[in-house]
Amino acid sequence: MPKLKTKDKHIKKLAEIVKGPNSILYLKEDLLAYDCDGFTIHKHLPKAVVFPKDTEEVAAIVKYCDANNLPFLARGAGTGLSGGAIPLNGEVIISLVRMKRLISVDTENRRAVVEPGFVNLKLTNSISDRGYYYAPDPSSQYCCTIGGNVAENAGGAHCLKYGVTTNHILGLEVVLPNGEIIEISSDGIPDAPGYDLLGILTGSEGTLGIVTKITVRILKNPEEKQTVLAYFDKVSDGSHAVSDIISAGIVPAALEMMDKIAIEAVEAAAFPVGHPKDIEALLLIEVDGVSAGIDEQINQILEVCKRRNVREVKVAQDEQERGRWWANRKTGFGAMGAISPDYLVQDGVIPRSKLPEVLGRINQISEEFGLRIANIFHAGDGNLHPLVLFDAKKPGDTDKALKAGSACLKVCADVGGSITGEHGVGIEKKEEMRFIFSDEEIMAQTNVREVFNPNNLLNAGKLFPTPGRCIEMKSDVNEPLSS
Amino acid sequence: MLVEEAFLQLQEQFPDVEMKYGKTDNYLGNSGLVRVYPSSEQQISAILKYANENGKTVSVEGNGTKRGFGGLTETADILVSLSRYKGIVEHTVGDMTVTVKSGTVFRELQGFLAKYNQQVSLDPSWPEDATIGGVIASNDSGPKRLGYGSARDAVIGLRVVYPDGSIIRTGGKVVKNVAGYDTNKLFIGSMGTIGIITEITLKLRPSPKAESLSLLSFPDANLKEIHSFVVDLLDSMIEPISLELLNPKLSKNLTGTEQYTLVVGFEDVKSSVDYQINKLKDLKPQNSELNILQDEELRAFWDRLSCMIPNGKRVSSSNQTEACVKIGVKNLDVVQVIRESDLLQDSFNLKVSAHGGLGHGICQVNLLGAQEDVALAISRLREVVESYHGYLIAKHLSLALRHKIDVWGDKPTYFFLFEGIKKKIDPNRVLNEKRFVGGI
Ligand SMILES: Cc1cc2nc3c(=O)[nH]c(=O)nc-3n(C[C@H](O)[C@H](O)[C@H](O)COP(=O)(O)OP(=O)(O)OC[C@H]3O[C@@H](n4cnc5c(N)ncnc54)[C@H](O)[C@@H]3O)c2cc1C
Repeated sequence: MPKLKTKDKHIKKLAEIVKGPNSILYLKEDLLAYDCDGFTIHKHLPKAVVFPKDTEEVAAIVKYCDANNLPFLARGAGTGLSGGAIPLNGEVIISLVRMKRLISVDTENRRAVVEPGFVNLKLTNSISDRGYYYAPDPSSQYCCTIGGNVAENAGGAHCLKYGVTTNHILGLEVVLPNGEIIEISSDGIPDAPGYDLLGILTGSEGTLGIVTKITVRILKNPEEKQTVLAYFDKVSDGSHAVSDIISAGIVPAALEMMDKIAIEAVEAAAFPVGHPKDIEALLLIEVDGVSAGIDEQINQILEVCKRRNVREVKVAQDEQERGRWWANRKTGFGAMGAISPDYLVQDGVIPRSKLPEVLGRINQISEEFGLRIANIFHAGDGNLHPLVLFDAKKPGDTDKALKAGSACLKVCADVGGSITGEHGVGIEKKEEMRFIFSDEEIMAQTNVREVFNPNNLLNAGKLFPTPGRCIEMKSDVNEPLSS
Repeated sequence: MLVEEAFLQLQEQFPDVEMKYGKTDNYLGNSGLVRVYPSSEQQISAILKYANENGKTVSVEGNGTKRGFGGLTETADILVSLSRYKGIVEHTVGDMTVTVKSGTVFRELQGFLAKYNQQVSLDPSWPEDATIGGVIASNDSGPKRLGYGSARDAVIGLRVVYPDGSIIRTGGKVVKNVAGYDTNKLFIGSMGTIGIITEITLKLRPSPKAESLSLLSFPDANLKEIHSFVVDLLDSMIEPISLELLNPKLSKNLTGTEQYTLVVGFEDVKSSVDYQINKLKDLKPQNSELNILQDEELRAFWDRLSCMIPNGKRVSSSNQTEACVKIGVKNLDVVQVIRESDLLQDSFNLKVSAHGGLGHGICQVNLLGAQEDVALAISRLREVVESYHGYLIAKHLSLALRHKIDVWGDKPTYFFLFEGIKKKIDPNRVLNEKRFVGGI
């Protein structure tokens, strides 16, 4: 083993557990890359980063941390947007990037088994030659891990028809916060007797256990896909078209919307497709399934758009064109970098029918705070992504952006929606949990955490608001104060 | 305690709540000394709080179709029936979501939604009797889960009364939501052991514009052939919403043909349904027979299939023992499970009706015969299923047999997590005592 440049006994012990070269980082210059994830507003250095190669190593690390009262957390690709992988308490970060094997594929029974560090898109790429794919497709799918997807219950553009991550998880192997390894439905058989632990673990943002193996459902590629791009002069026409398509009894595979500022950004970034600059909204609509029914549905969609005063509407002529439209959409967040030094991605959900009203109110928030807000979102399921544009170098701007983002979430909550549809609560939205849950309801959830994670050493200080005035949660004494 | 005494005590506490003397000699158990019929969430909350504080046990039911599902108690102190707590709370047509009180009968809910060309995409047993709350709490599903998923895919929010009387919302009213833990999932299939679900918010789908049902029967009973046909079918481009294999006996009951039969359902726009039927005709093995059902015939078929399991609400007229089990295995192992179930008829002198979904792995097997034979057959079937790494749950058994056969099978290694959850929420073990895995 290479000689360690530290006297820290915990780091020495951990280095003994994760064998092999480059399996642990502990020097400040190496740790800097791990002080935040995709949510860059809060930063904190971890104690160390370890790179286990198998479940046994993960379990041994966890046991050691638990026995020595060291806080720890799991990390995938670090693309999370709510701060879930930020080591708020100087955690030992357990990075799962070395556990990245595709363990098995069983097309007959439609399932695949992967390690948590396996990258989302790689799964589809590995089975596409056999005509299969993995449905959940977050825009970050080229780099985010399936372990991270499970933790965040990630969604994506095609989740409108096919459901989010939780609808595709059939089995999990988990290292519990005391180091015990459990396997739930390892054969991927649904409805295992007992409370639905798969359901509660998926979306638990890495606070209940560390996922070390995942059995997922894979789907057969649809026989045909068609994609429509529609340009509107008025946002309200675009929003109404969304409702009309759904009311017509069509279940599109995807139904995405971008507003004017978003269009300005994607056209200025790496994958422009030549959208007109003066339109107020565009819709990207995809229908898939057996070939026979597709034309009928596309025609209905075209009619709806015309009725809603569409300026121009077109159907992708080939796979290249379709690919360009999607690349333009899926790189939408990053595209903000082309028109603003910094941006904050928000993520709220509203009942679809409230779309015109809510977009109007987001506009008001933008004016109130004097910050531009772009909107790129999954319109079909009412999952908004207001992107607040700001300049971190301007004093006070970051704070204003955070407040504007929170105000957008308040609007979502007020119309009966949610504060997050796919990015999770993490650090970012802890306080906003109060917009939708009572203290009692939050306690009902922390009670579940206590069952799995009684010492709260695993990813503490995330997901739930710091305890309020009157409600005392005794297990939360080591909940850190986030400024 | 005497029934009268218990009754008077409760009546004094809750003068506004309708209540009746309970029935204590029910062969299915899960009853109560006093049956109460709350009509509001406040009443449900007050009753649970009272029970929790006074050391009373509570049994919960919707309409009672699942009285034979789990539980080792004949009579709890109080039986809370949700059959009066019914109705639509909110239906937003454009959002395709509905919020409904848990005592609403499933068929009534579907009937209401049908007026808007919408539906809850679940096909549980006994839709005319079962309440939506019971369907969710027992995680009941039917053949169409292949196309539409099960309760966990449809439920987006719940209101739950905890044993201490507090009212907790889980999830929300929007179709996509990751705020906090997905605690909806804890209650789906929890058999009423950690709370009484009072309201359910569900994601809806448009009613299909066209439906058809292809019955494909295999006179040679060649299971290898069925297996390889299904592999081809699943690997083709067609998208059936059900792919259910019936054993010959069940097929005889439902279709008149005593052969292994595959029930292949299509629901989509008409052109797509027709196209898929044609594809099916191309794929089908030569010696199999295809019979296509539409409209009334199709509906009648689904109705009969959904009513094959014994109904705990309707007293059985048979003097033989009726039982029903749910089995989960890998998708394609269903073929073997249906075959093995069929073989039980001769080995144990029983009548067995079995069906299972080749695209989702869930089977349902009904057994009818002498009590000892039924018990032996279930044990035998459990062994078979476990050799396929699957599980067997007894969905309907008499109380007497539930004392002999473990309804849920062995505890999993992570049972302590189930116990932990139960203890946190229902520390006094008020609700549905021993109705769930490992005596929870
Ligand atoms: C440009 C961009 C676009 C995005 N688009 C989408 C989108 O369309 N839809 C969407 O849902 N999200 C999107 N995201 C958010 C993010 O990619 C997802 O949340 C993703 O699931 C995170 O995966 P990760 O591997 O990066 O996890 P990380 O960021 O490393 O971790 C996220 C959380 O999961 C926990 N975790 C990670 N691995 C494990 C494990 N094995 N066991 C237990 N806990 C674990 C961590 O502790 C942390 O709390 C986007 C992000 C970016 C940067």
